[in-house]
Amino acid sequence: MLSPYRVLDLTDERGVLAGQMLADLGADVIQIEPPDGSSGRGVAPFFAERPDESIYWAAYTRGKRGITCDLETERGRELLLRLLETADFLIESADVGRMTELQLDFETLRERFPQLIYTSISAFGQTGPKARYVGSDLAIWAAGTPLLMTGDDDRAPVRVSQPQAWGHAAGDAAGGSMLALHARHQSGRGQHVDVSAQVSAAQATLGQVLAHQLGAVEPERYGGGIKIRGQAIRGTADVADGYIVLLMGPGPAVGHFANHAVQWLVDIGAVEPALLEENFVTYADRVASGQADAALFPRLQETMREQVATRTKQEMLEISIAYDLLLVPVLTIADLSVSPQLEQRGFWRELEHADGRQVTYPGPPLNIVVDGEPFGYSHRPPPALGQHNAEIYGELGLTDAEIAQLRSEGVI
Amino acid sequence: MTLPEGSGPLAGVKILDLSWIVAGPTVGRVMADYGATVIRVESPTRIDTARVVGPFHGDVAGVEHSGLYGNVNAGKWGLTLDLRVPEAQGIFRRLSVWADIVCESFTAGVLARWQLDYQHLHQLKPDLIMLSSTLLGQNGPYNQVSGFGSQGAGMAGIQDLAGWPDRPPAGPFGPYTDYPAPRFALTALLAALDHRNRTGQGVFIDQAQAEGTLQLLAPALIDYKNGGSLLERRGNDDPQMCPHGVYPCQLPAGRTESWVAIAVATDAQWRSLAELTEADASWSLEQRRARQPQIDAALSAWTSTRSAAEVEEKLQSAGISAHRLSTTEDAANDPQLAHRNHFRRLPHALHGETIIEGPRYIHSATPITTARPAPQYGEHNEQILKEVLGLDDADIIALAASGALS
Repeated sequence: MLSPYRVLDLTDERGVLAGQMLADLGADVIQIEPPDGSSGRGVAPFFAERPDESIYWAAYTRGKRGITCDLETERGRELLLRLLETADFLIESADVGRMTELQLDFETLRERFPQLIYTSISAFGQTGPKARYVGSDLAIWAAGTPLLMTGDDDRAPVRVSQPQAWGHAAGDAAGGSMLALHARHQSGRGQHVDVSAQVSAAQATLGQVLAHQLGAVEPERYGGGIKIRGQAIRGTADVADGYIVLLMGPGPAVGHFANHAVQWLVDIGAVEPALLEENFVTYADRVASGQADAALFPRLQETMREQVATRTKQEMLEISIAYDLLLVPVLTIADLSVSPQLEQRGFWRELEHADGRQVTYPGPPLNIVVDGEPFGYSHRPPPALGQHNAEIYGELGLTDAEIAQLRSEGVI
Repeated sequence: MTLPEGSGPLAGVKILDLSWIVAGPTVGRVMADYGATVIRVESPTRIDTARVVGPFHGDVAGVEHSGLYGNVNAGKWGLTLDLRVPEAQGIFRRLSVWADIVCESFTAGVLARWQLDYQHLHQLKPDLIMLSSTLLGQNGPYNQVSGFGSQGAGMAGIQDLAGWPDRPPAGPFGPYTDYPAPRFALTALLAALDHRNRTGQGVFIDQAQAEGTLQLLAPALIDYKNGGSLLERRGNDDPQMCPHGVYPCQLPAGRTESWVAIAVATDAQWRSLAELTEADASWSLEQRRARQPQIDAALSAWTSTRSAAEVEEKLQSAGISAHRLSTTEDAANDPQLAHRNHFRRLPHALHGETIIEGPRYIHSATPITTARPAPQYGEHNEQILKEVLGLDDADIIALAASGALS
């Protein structure tokens, strides 16, 4: 779908997913790295059989071509300007101010490339009192507010063990770039898109980031569950081989799931059939007016916990589907690697690396049909360092001798 | 005939937004911000969960009080339709011919039963773009699993990775799969719109929201799937940074806790931190990781006697990544968020004023303004039915009598 467009991707480990999202939709995305490799190539984890090869970098450069170019040199910057003649988008995530020092910032480039869409990803944004703050996954999650909301109430707040913040920002960089493309269709001109990872992280709060300003109470962290004014519901329940998500509650939004759970408990003989008379959609109102027993729902929860504790994640998933319960397993990375759901959706793809290894990757998260035909996703593996130098500099009209010269000068 | 057009890059683009809660509506919110005309269709009987969870205006629960609903539906026009009623299905069909893009998030198969799925709608409008977004996708053995993003977090593996190794999962906060999913959907819809404008071809997008979160776990998935190691939750530990964690700070008046996040990525940063906290500046990452408990204890002692704001400023001045763990009150007073005009106030018929977040990016040439707060229940029923579909008063009375609207 995006095959008419070219993206020059200058990002490092911060935001490298953005270009991949556009590559997955068909854009020609060229990852540009310094001659000694992006700092992203140093980010863990690493392939077991190739401890010098970053899985992180491979994960988010799949689908792109890759070249090297030393932007610290005049010759390297000239090459980039020649590439920009052919490009629609530039995406970068350098420390704020660095692109200006290199004279490759938006303001410098806009006159020569008025159609260029120039997207900057940074921790806090390109301007403002915190623009020069040093970012990190943890600090961004803290500044966006989700970190304080996450964790057990008797311990320090806790992050997700696979860093998340730059991924959210990258997702916004891709969307913001596409909005700028539509603006260009209207005006004929490109523009600067300034993405702040702090702001992107604020999305991971279910709107709670607005709580204080709306006059609502500050959210409190309570595991994977909910705690409001001291009332806490644990988010998970123990099962025989791990955990399930069990956020059972009464009320108009989810009470019908509790009714379904009663049906299951009756069918297995864990509760009396008389409990089927209760309707948990309207239960809270009837408790308030004295028509229903306030102790009933907590007893039901307790019974649920006892019953699920002796069953496996897989058993509970099948029961959940059969009875339409609001209940799913907490899958581990190991579970996901053999998930029949992902298998049947064609999620995984085998890509052949430059050194001939077959590596299995997660595919794009969307199955797309264009004009009645499945969209043809690229099966391009992540590029080795400088893998497409000859190809791409050749496309620019450089001769083999000129490319060899650049190589010997260390520009590429 | 149509509703008043918006302004911005998507002016003139028409969206029928039948999605609900967060993952889907967030996409339409962005499109409305950038000028699209978005009609948000709601069921008058099955209440949108976003309306019944907070944060609420004035901390008072109510279907017109939800800041979450307001945040993901601002700028849209509101229509109620009970799609179980045949007359409502007819209205929906006519609106999908009006629309460039239809977004929906029913359980897989529900729209097909009403002949309102892509297979049927694209026969009425061959160049239709449609997004069907569910937790696990349209096909597969588990496509009927019910759930919100909180269940998605379990199914996407992220819940298992948030928390402490000696305890059950302790996070993430809320329905996590609702956060990455709209980014993937928006990007793909805008690509599809670009493609349709060039070629006249329609596009169908089947989104599994959980798979969006899996993109953010791709390194861990690739590692294990290819015979490497299994990532498990490890608190705030990071294999390439030390110290790396959340440390207690002096309590400001009226607070029961206060924390600062500190992430030391390089030896140079460690030397700066060691100088401030009187630690051994010579330790390498490996040596620091080996002494992590004692480093964390010493650092906690140092942060405990200072405010989070002071630690943040001192460390950032020394080139070390640090930030206080902002409360939502801190966010309201954050000078950086204020600089970006992130929180926006809109006049509101019931609340006088409401507050929403701005977009997640700043466009230098196309600044946006959100035209109106999220619609109240059925707020624009009459206007939409008259101005978009040309119904008259008698038609609307008949439609209402059929039960299509309430």
